[in-house]
Amino acid sequence: MAGVDRLRRVIPRSPRARLGAQGGLTVTAAAVALLLPLMLSTYSMSVAVTVVMYAILGLGLNVVVGYAGLLDLGYAAFFAIGAYTSSLLQLDAHLSFWETLPAAVAAAAVSGCIIGYPTLRLRSDYLAIVTLGFGEIVRITVTNLSVTGGANGLYGIPPATVFGTSIVSESGLYYLGLFFLLIAIVFTGLLSRSRLGRAWRTLREDETASEAVGVPATKVKLLAYVMGAMVGALAGMYFSSQFGTIDPTTFTFTTSVTILLVVIVGGMGSIPGMILGALVVIALPEALRPISSYRLLIFALGLVLLMLVRPQGLWPARRSRQGSFTAPLAPREATATTATAGEATEAPAAGRPEPGSLLLRVSGLRHSFGGVIAVNDVSFDLHAGEILSIIGPNGAGKTTVFNCITGMVTPQRGEVSLRGERSLLKVKPHKIVSLGLARTFQGVRLFEGLDVADNCLAGLSAHQGRLVSRHGLLGRTSAQDRREALRWLTFVGLAGKAHVLASELSYGDRRRLEIARSLMSRPLALLLDEPAAGTNPTEKRELMGLVRQVRNSGVTVLLIEHDMGVVMGLSDRVIVLDQGAVIAEGPPRQIRSDPRVIDAYLGREDHEATEAVGEVSE
Amino acid sequence: MKGVGSRAAATAIFAAVALTAAACSSSTSSGGGSSSSGGTILIGVPVPLSGEYASAGTDILHGAQLAAKNINASGGVDGKKIQIVSQDDACLASTGSQAAQKLISQGIAAAAGGYCSTAAFPELEAFHRAGIPYVMDASTNPELTEQGFNDAFRTIGRDDEQGPIAASFITSFLHATRVAVGNDNSTYAKGLANATVSALQKDGAQVVFNNALTPGQSDYTSFLTKIGQSKPQVFYYTGYYPEFGLLLKEAKQLGLTFTMMGGDANNDPTLIKTAGSAATGAMMTTAPLAQFLSSAKGYVSQYTAAYGTGPGPYSSYEYDAVGVVAQAIKNAHSTTPSAITAALRSISYSGITGDFHFDSVGDRAPANYIVITVKNGAFVPDKEYDNTTKQWVNVS
Amino acid sequence: MSAFLQYVVNGLTSGAFIALVALGYTMIYGVIRLINFAHGDVLMVGSFIGYEVVVTLVAQHWPIALIVLLALLAGMAFTGGLGMLIERVAYQPLLNSSRLAILISALGVSLALEQGAQLIFGAGYSAYPNVLSSAGFTFAGARASYVQVGMIVLSLLLMLGLYLFVHKTMAGTAMRALAMDKDAATLMGINVPRTILLTFMLGSVLAGASGVMQGLYYTEINFFMGFLIGLRAFTAAVLGGIGNIPGAMVAGFLIGLIGSFSDGYISSEWSDAIIFAVLIAVLVFKPTGLFGERVAERV
Repeated sequence: MAGVDRLRRVIPRSPRARLGAQGGLTVTAAAVALLLPLMLSTYSMSVAVTVVMYAILGLGLNVVVGYAGLLDLGYAAFFAIGAYTSSLLQLDAHLSFWETLPAAVAAAAVSGCIIGYPTLRLRSDYLAIVTLGFGEIVRITVTNLSVTGGANGLYGIPPATVFGTSIVSESGLYYLGLFFLLIAIVFTGLLSRSRLGRAWRTLREDETASEAVGVPATKVKLLAYVMGAMVGALAGMYFSSQFGTIDPTTFTFTTSVTILLVVIVGGMGSIPGMILGALVVIALPEALRPISSYRLLIFALGLVLLMLVRPQGLWPARRSRQGSFTAPLAPREATATTATAGEATEAPAAGRPEPGSLLLRVSGLRHSFGGVIAVNDVSFDLHAGEILSIIGPNGAGKTTVFNCITGMVTPQRGEVSLRGERSLLKVKPHKIVSLGLARTFQGVRLFEGLDVADNCLAGLSAHQGRLVSRHGLLGRTSAQDRREALRWLTFVGLAGKAHVLASELSYGDRRRLEIARSLMSRPLALLLDEPAAGTNPTEKRELMGLVRQVRNSGVTVLLIEHDMGVVMGLSDRVIVLDQGAVIAEGPPRQIRSDPRVIDAYLGREDHEATEAVGEVSE
Repeated sequence: MKGVGSRAAATAIFAAVALTAAACSSSTSSGGGSSSSGGTILIGVPVPLSGEYASAGTDILHGAQLAAKNINASGGVDGKKIQIVSQDDACLASTGSQAAQKLISQGIAAAAGGYCSTAAFPELEAFHRAGIPYVMDASTNPELTEQGFNDAFRTIGRDDEQGPIAASFITSFLHATRVAVGNDNSTYAKGLANATVSALQKDGAQVVFNNALTPGQSDYTSFLTKIGQSKPQVFYYTGYYPEFGLLLKEAKQLGLTFTMMGGDANNDPTLIKTAGSAATGAMMTTAPLAQFLSSAKGYVSQYTAAYGTGPGPYSSYEYDAVGVVAQAIKNAHSTTPSAITAALRSISYSGITGDFHFDSVGDRAPANYIVITVKNGAFVPDKEYDNTTKQWVNVS
Repeated sequence: MSAFLQYVVNGLTSGAFIALVALGYTMIYGVIRLINFAHGDVLMVGSFIGYEVVVTLVAQHWPIALIVLLALLAGMAFTGGLGMLIERVAYQPLLNSSRLAILISALGVSLALEQGAQLIFGAGYSAYPNVLSSAGFTFAGARASYVQVGMIVLSLLLMLGLYLFVHKTMAGTAMRALAMDKDAATLMGINVPRTILLTFMLGSVLAGASGVMQGLYYTEINFFMGFLIGLRAFTAAVLGGIGNIPGAMVAGFLIGLIGSFSDGYISSEWSDAIIFAVLIAVLVFKPTGLFGERVAERV
C-alpha cells in the first residue's frame, strides 16, 4: 500500500546507502523474528508456524510463477512429495529427520522434471491446467495406494530432533521453520541474482527473443520447476514434523491455490513479498476469527479489493535491480573498455574464419505456409567479412529465409550449412546462436521490463548455458561479463544509459541495444532484419556507420533492407528476392540497373517501389 | 554492508541461533489455558465450519448448542452455565491446530467436537499438551485413541466395531453370499469399509466389489452399473449421506435391484428428500440414537424447531459429548481440566445415543448398533442383535 | 455387452452437463483470457434460485411443466444479472492489469459467492423436490429415462443456440472478433466493453440454466457444488481447445464418456486421475487442445 511506497521513497537512491538501509531493515526483521516467541501466546505461535510454512511454499512457487512466469496451479504436488518421502523414510527405513532431507529434495527435483516436461510447448493457460492435473494425480495416487497409507495417511512420524532434543512445542517448531525459511530465502535469492535468474526473466518477457539470444528455453524452464520443487520439498518436510501425521487432504488443489494467493497478494517475484503474502493469507483469516461466520467472506472481498487497488501485490519486486551493474565499475575498467570501441574484437577462440572464406551456405531452400510458397528454391553463399544484403518487395520471403537460417522455422526442403560443413537444419535456435549466428528482429524485440544492461548481458546466454560451471547458469554475473557488456554498449553508444528500462528507450536506441545484445554472443555473422525501418535520416546514417563498424570488427553482416540508400551505401553484394525466388544477385551497381529488378519493383504499384527506383536513379 | 562474505556469515549465525532456539524452547513446554472462571463454563467445539464439510460441522455445532441450552435450562452445572465456544478447523491440519490453540487461549475447560481426523489429530495433540480433555464425537479413526493420551475420549464407536456388526447382519440375516462394499475414500469411510470387508470374509461371504467413489460429484450411474455387473445381493456403502441419497436414486433409475445398505453416516433427512421413493426399504447400521427410540422423539423435534432441518448423523453424538462433559464436571465438583479428565475416565452416562462409559483407551463402550430402515418417508428402527438368542430381531 | 451401452448412456448424460458448463468457461476465456473461477459458483447460485422457485410452486401445486420453465427463467435471469455485476465490479477494472491479478480477483469472487451462499442458504444440502418422472425405456439391455434424453437434447439445443448466436448474429460476430484481436476489434468500431459484458451475461445465463437443470435432475445441491463441477468443466474447455465453442461441446461429452468408462472398466477411485492423464497426453501431442487454433506468431 501507500505505506510501503513511502517507505521506499525514504530509502536513499545511492546504491551504497540503499544497501545500508536495506541491511538495517533486514537486521530489524531478523531480530523481531527471533524474539517473537517471547512476545506472543502459544496460539499466535501456532499461527506463526503456519505463516512460516506458507512463506516457504510461497518462495518456492515464486521461482516458478514469479521468476520464470510459468503459471503452476498444482504446486501442492511438490509439497506432498517432500512430505511423503520424508515421512515414509522415517517410518519404514528408520532414517532420522535430517537424513531424509537429500532424498526428499531429490524426489521433488525429479518430479519437477516429470511435471515440467509436458508443459514445455504449452501456452500459459494450458500449462496451468496441466500442472493442476498433475497436482490432482499426485493427490489421488497417494490416496489410493496403501504404501502411502491411503486415505488415512501416515501416522506416528517422530518429531524432528535438533542437537538431541525433540522439537514439539509451537515455539520450537517456529524456530525450526525459521531455519528452513532462511534456507529458502538464501536459495531463491541466489537464484534470482544468478544468470539463471536473468534467463528466467528474459523467458518471461519474450520467449522468442529469449531463444534468439541463446537462452536454452527447455532447460531453463525445467530448471524452474526443479528449483521450485526443491523448496516445496523443504516445506513438506517441515510440515511432516509438525503433527506426527500427514494425509492427502492437506495437498489439494485448494492448497495450491492458497500458495498462489500468497505469491500474488505478496507481490510476485519479491522475497519480502512472500513473507508478507503468507502473513496476509494465513494470519488475516485467523485474526478475523471473532467474526467467524463472516470471516471468509470478508477475506474474499478483501482479495478482490486488493487486486482492484493494488494488482501488483503488497510488496512487488523492484524492476531489474538484480545484480547486473549494481557495483559500479572501477574507473580504470571503464577507460579500458572505451579504448576498444570501434577496434577489432579480441580474437575469440580459434576458428575465426579467413576473410572471403565460405561462412554460410544456403541451398535449395523451400518453404510454404498453407498454399502460399514463401521461399522458393533460394540459394546463396555468405562469405566471411562481407556485408550481404537481401532485398525485395514486401512478402518476398526475406524474413522467412532468416527464420530458416536461425532455426525458428524448419524449411520443408533445402539445406543450410555453416562453413559448408555443419548443417543448421533441426538445430535449436539457441544452439545456432552458440555456433555463431546472431540475429535481430524486424520489430525490435527487447526485454521490455529489463534495463539496458540486463538486455545486453542476456546476449551472453548462448555461452552460459551449462549448469555446473562458473560461467554457467548457476553462476553470478561476473566482472568479465560486465566488462564485455560495457564494451558493446559503448560500441553502440549506450553506455550512459545502462540502467534505463528498455521500454523507456527512444526508437533509435532500441535498435542499437538490439545490436549490442546480439554482438554479445560473439557471433561470426550478424543477421539484421530491416535495421533501418522506421528511422529518420540522421538515425539512418548513424546506423549505417554502426553496421560498417560491426563488419570492421570482424563480424560478417547479412542484412534485410527496403531502403535502397542504405543497401547501396553499405553492401558488398546484393541478392534480390521476389515472390520467394532469387531473381538477381551481384554487386550494388549491377543490381541497380538490372531490368528484372526494376521490373519486379515497377510491376507492383507500390509507392515504395517508385520511391526505390527514384533513389536508385539518383 | 561489506559484501558477500559478511552476509554469508550473518546468515550462518542467524541459522545457528534459530536452530539452537528450537532445541531450547522445546525442552520447556508451554502451559495450557486456565480453567473457566466466573459463572460460565466454556466448552470448546472445534469443527469444520467452512469448506466442503461445513454441513457436517454445522450439524455438530447445533448438537452442542442444543445440549448446552438444555443443560442450562435445567439449572446448569453446579449453578454455572455452560457456554459453547466454537472455532472453525476447516478440516485442515494447520487450521485445526490453530483452532485448538485459540480455544485453549479462550480458557475452555474441556473440548467436545471434531469431525475430520486430519484436523482431529493436531487438535488432540494441542489439547493433550495443555492438559485439556477432548471428547470426540465423529472421528472414528482408531489411531486417535491408540496414541496413549489419557485425555482422549470418544462418544462414537470405532470403525472396527461397526464393521463386524454390519457384516453379521448382511450374512446371517440377509443371507447374502455376494456382497459389494463402497466408500468415498475418506478416513472414516475407508476405515469402516476395510473393517466390514474383513468381517464379511471371515463370515464366509464373497466380496465381489470394493471400490471408492469420488464425493461431490452428482452422477454415480457408471459406478452403480459396475456394481451391478458384479451381481451382488447386498451393497453396503460406508460413506456419507449426500452420496448415498444419489446412489439410491440412481440405482433405481438404472433398474438395479440389489439391497442397498449404508453405514451410520447416512441417517440424515436430506437422504430421503434426495432419493424420494427410491429410499424406501434402504437400510442403515447406526447407533441406537434417541430419534429411533419411540420414547425420546423430543430431540428430533427440538432440533428441527431450532434449526429448520432434521439432525444429521453426528449431532446426537455431540449432544452426548457435551452432556457427558457436563456430567463429569458435576461429578468432580471442579472445572479444572485434570479433574474433568479423571471424572470422565470413570463415568457412566446415559445419553440419547444410549448408555456408555469409556474404556481404558478412551473409546466408547459398549458400542451398540442397530439396523434402521426407511419407511413412509422416515427412518424407523428395524432390527437389533439379541445377544442371548444370537439372532437379529425386531427392535422393541 | 449391455453394460457397455449403459456406460455410454451414463457418459453422455453427465457429459451433457459438463459440456454446458464448459461452454461458459470457453466463451469467457475467449474474450478476456480469464479462467473464470467464479463460473461454477454462478451455476450454484442459479441452482439455489431455481430451488426456491420450485419449492414454493410445488407447495402450491402448480403444473410441473410451468414450474420447470419458471425455475429455468428465474435462474437464468438472476445469474445473467449476477454475471454482469461481477464483470463490471471485479474484472472490468483489471483488464489492463496482469493476468494473474484478474485471476486472483476471480478466486476472490468465487470464495465470496460460496460464503455468501453458505450464509444465506446454510451449509447443509438442499434437495429439489423430485418433480421429474423417472419413466424410461430399455434398449439392448441399457436403461435410459425420458428425462435423461430430454436433458441431453436440451443441452444440445442450448449449445446449438449459442453456436448460432455466435456465428450468425452481429453481436456474436463481435464476440468472435474480440476474441481474435482486441485492438483490431476496437479499431473496427466494436464496442469492446459492451461486448465483454454481453459475453459474461450469456455465459452466466448458460451457467444459471445448467444450475437449474442440475438441481432438477440430480436434486441435491449445496453451496460448495460449484467447485468440483467447475473443475471438470474447465478441464473439458481446455481439452477442446480453450476459446473454441464446438471444441468445448465435444470435449464435455468426451470427458463424460471417459469418466464413465473409467468408472466401469477400471475403478472410480482413479477416474479423475485418468481424465487428467488423458488431458495431459492430448496436450503433449496437440498443445492447443483437440480443436484449438494455433495462434500464429509473427516473428
